[in-house]
Amino acid sequence: MKIIRNIFDKLEPMFTGDGSLKAFKPLYEAMDNFFFAPDKATLVAPFGRDPLDIKRFMSMVIVALVPALICSVYFFGLRFLAMMIVSYAVGGAVEVAFAVIRKEEINEGFLVTGMLFPMIMPPTLPLWMVGVGVAFGVLVGKELFGGTGRNIFNPAIVGRCFLALAYPLQMSTNWVKAGTGGIGRALEYVTVDSVDAVSNATPLVLAKGGEIVDISKMFLGNISGSIGETSALAIIAGGIFLLMTRVGNWRTVVATLLSAFVLSAIFHNSDSERFAPAMWHLCAGGLLFGAFFMATDPVTSPVTNAGKWFYGIIIGIVTVLIRNFGGYVEGVMFAILLGNIMAPILDEIVFKIRIRRLAVEG
Amino acid sequence: MKLRGGYNITLEGRPAGVVTKLPEPQRLCIPLFSRRFNFSEVLVTDGQVVSDGDTLATDPDNYSVPLLAPRGGTVRLNDTDNHIVLEDLACPAGKAHTPEKDLPHIVQKMGSAGLKRYKLLTLGAWQFFSDAFTGDLPDPMGKPQAVIISTLSLEPYVARGDVQLLNRLLQFTRGLEHLQSLLEYQPIYLVLPDIKSEFATRVREQIRGYAWAKLIEIPMKYPYDNFNILARGLGLKGADGPVWSVRTEGILAVDRSLTVSKPCLVRILAVGGPAVKNPVHVKLMAGYPTDSIVDMFTEGDCLRAINGGMLSGEAINTAKSGLDTEARGITILSEPKEREFLGFVRPGSDRASYSGCFLSSFRSKFSERLTTALRGEGRPCISCNYCEEVCPAGIMPHLLHKYLYEDLIEELDEARVDLCVQCGLCSFVCPSKIELKQQFLEAIDLIAKEKEEARLEKEAAEKRAQEEAARREAEEAAANEKAKADDAPVEDSGE
Repeated sequence: MKIIRNIFDKLEPMFTGDGSLKAFKPLYEAMDNFFFAPDKATLVAPFGRDPLDIKRFMSMVIVALVPALICSVYFFGLRFLAMMIVSYAVGGAVEVAFAVIRKEEINEGFLVTGMLFPMIMPPTLPLWMVGVGVAFGVLVGKELFGGTGRNIFNPAIVGRCFLALAYPLQMSTNWVKAGTGGIGRALEYVTVDSVDAVSNATPLVLAKGGEIVDISKMFLGNISGSIGETSALAIIAGGIFLLMTRVGNWRTVVATLLSAFVLSAIFHNSDSERFAPAMWHLCAGGLLFGAFFMATDPVTSPVTNAGKWFYGIIIGIVTVLIRNFGGYVEGVMFAILLGNIMAPILDEIVFKIRIRRLAVEG
Repeated sequence: MKLRGGYNITLEGRPAGVVTKLPEPQRLCIPLFSRRFNFSEVLVTDGQVVSDGDTLATDPDNYSVPLLAPRGGTVRLNDTDNHIVLEDLACPAGKAHTPEKDLPHIVQKMGSAGLKRYKLLTLGAWQFFSDAFTGDLPDPMGKPQAVIISTLSLEPYVARGDVQLLNRLLQFTRGLEHLQSLLEYQPIYLVLPDIKSEFATRVREQIRGYAWAKLIEIPMKYPYDNFNILARGLGLKGADGPVWSVRTEGILAVDRSLTVSKPCLVRILAVGGPAVKNPVHVKLMAGYPTDSIVDMFTEGDCLRAINGGMLSGEAINTAKSGLDTEARGITILSEPKEREFLGFVRPGSDRASYSGCFLSSFRSKFSERLTTALRGEGRPCISCNYCEEVCPAGIMPHLLHKYLYEDLIEELDEARVDLCVQCGLCSFVCPSKIELKQQFLEAIDLIAKEKEEARLEKEAAEKRAQEEAARREAEEAAANEKAKADDAPVEDSGE
């Protein structure tokens, strides 16, 4: 710890004042404050503050993703780690570049995007595509709006949406059969060329052909699909942790899942031949992952609690509608993007109502 | 009663329920200002010898509320800026003031109720009163729409109401009677933490007969003791007139000044905070040197003393200052010492947070040792909604912050930034470390200034219009006269 401190103290003159690397001061500051909590004191009341800061807030999401991450490696192999490294490196570079240009601090929000992004990719996606996707997501989804806190869309979903539209083939075929047994595929590096592992149908694709995959299999995650989205168990475990820490708001999650469940139950009851059961829809595809980790992003979801209910209901309903009636097999991505667009309007409506109520107070 | 938001921060260093005495001071350094008052009219001269209870200065803008000498001594005016220093202190004589004898004309002019009010003002009890909506000193001769009396004091490190009430039930009820005699059937709301407690039962027995005194129970959650929040919760409206609000110490002061006609010179304060070794309540007078209090209760340096509570107090900057007349507590926090290595990944069983992000959320009763550290870096708002959840005023701090960021003054006013009660909870919980409370204070000032400017402009415009109208009238009159004068010869010539 002292050694690291010494390194930072030695490097400091290069980045501050007229140092040779003064343009990269945000990078130095971010690293410095990453390792050593800043000792800035309050200037105005309240004189003490809550220990929670954005670093802690964002790292809670990463902790909540750990169960899903372990499952990802177990089911789809070491390649996921390579994708994660690419995602963090490319996305981080974009973030740093913008911080340097804007002369602002580097924001912690990227820590979450860099982790979420590879988890919603198919396991065999070429690494360069991961890089392109995350770069697009961070650049267009976040930085162009002004960085974390000012973005309208979830950057990870913007990146995925871009890839799905630009490279539909790679994004929708070449799924990997999930590993089984003691260590699964945890020591394998599965690529498109490892033929034995590559299947080409996720449960949602199979359902289009009328084949319903066993729910217990989907609950554990022993199916093909996007890397982090397959294991409902791991996602729920991490998701509940996220809700308990109050980083994710339970209203969004409950509204999303409940509305999706109710609507698909109605469909299933009206025509059980054509529509899959409600429980199956909950566990299939990215609904759970999206509800727990994507929709709860505080920045892109409505601020107000009332708004969050409607936001969740929109996401849940649109997901089920796209899945059952749309041309796409999976609708969570578009549903959340649509929810993101609606979020400011939902907020605006709630604000208006509340301000009208406030007018007669006091 | 509908109350929302609020949050009890569990912190170490809450003062114990005992009241201790501190050694008599060598000299008193009394500030000529406090949170609400500015005692600009000094009534004593340098070197003058005063006795305790004499008026040293008054505040001309606040109904001439007096600054009383807590002890007899020699006045030094030029020792410290904006302070009156008292030296060669004498033991308190404790003489009673009887304005009935000194000022018979006042009795004649105002009657006995007026005299009571006059005594409250001159004997220093009136300064414990405030208006629930504006927070200002109410007019001592005015009529309130209601009176709110609170025995609660919930902000960390200000004097607790139950400690002040200790063994003073008789005085308290007597004070209530006196206060009631000033009113004309306006309701008295007595706010208690538990209206079924033994204390509440005794108070109820004592005040039986005053049908309009109503006991109200509220949960012990900060800042539900705030008078603005209470008044709004009771459904009172600011437009219907002032709401007198007063805490336990004020009622005791009313009793002292009206029953024994003695000036209120000492008050019970809390000395607390994580940096205080043995946090206690103390009986102190205005002017008591703050640095000696800090020395007495703490060890080591790198401390910050705060006048008032941790969330809404003000830092004491000058080392040579003394307690002001409105002090309710001294909070002492230590400054952050070292930068913690990988602080944000620590499990954090020793930090209490509003969120559940630390291991401490699994511990039941837990108090944190807080420092003055900001504990993070300033960031843009991430819309986590914590500020709205804790806000007791029902406003939306995140929205106000965004309006302020975009300079939308009119919208700020519409979203009722003026309802902010300055409790400081939003700034406390904000993970982006945005100084919300401070920003709202500035916004309120800005809006008030703009409204004042608009008012002046309107007045000036009206004045101009009047002048213009007067000028035009004069012109017209002149023209008429002229026309008449012109007409007259014509008529003449016609004849």
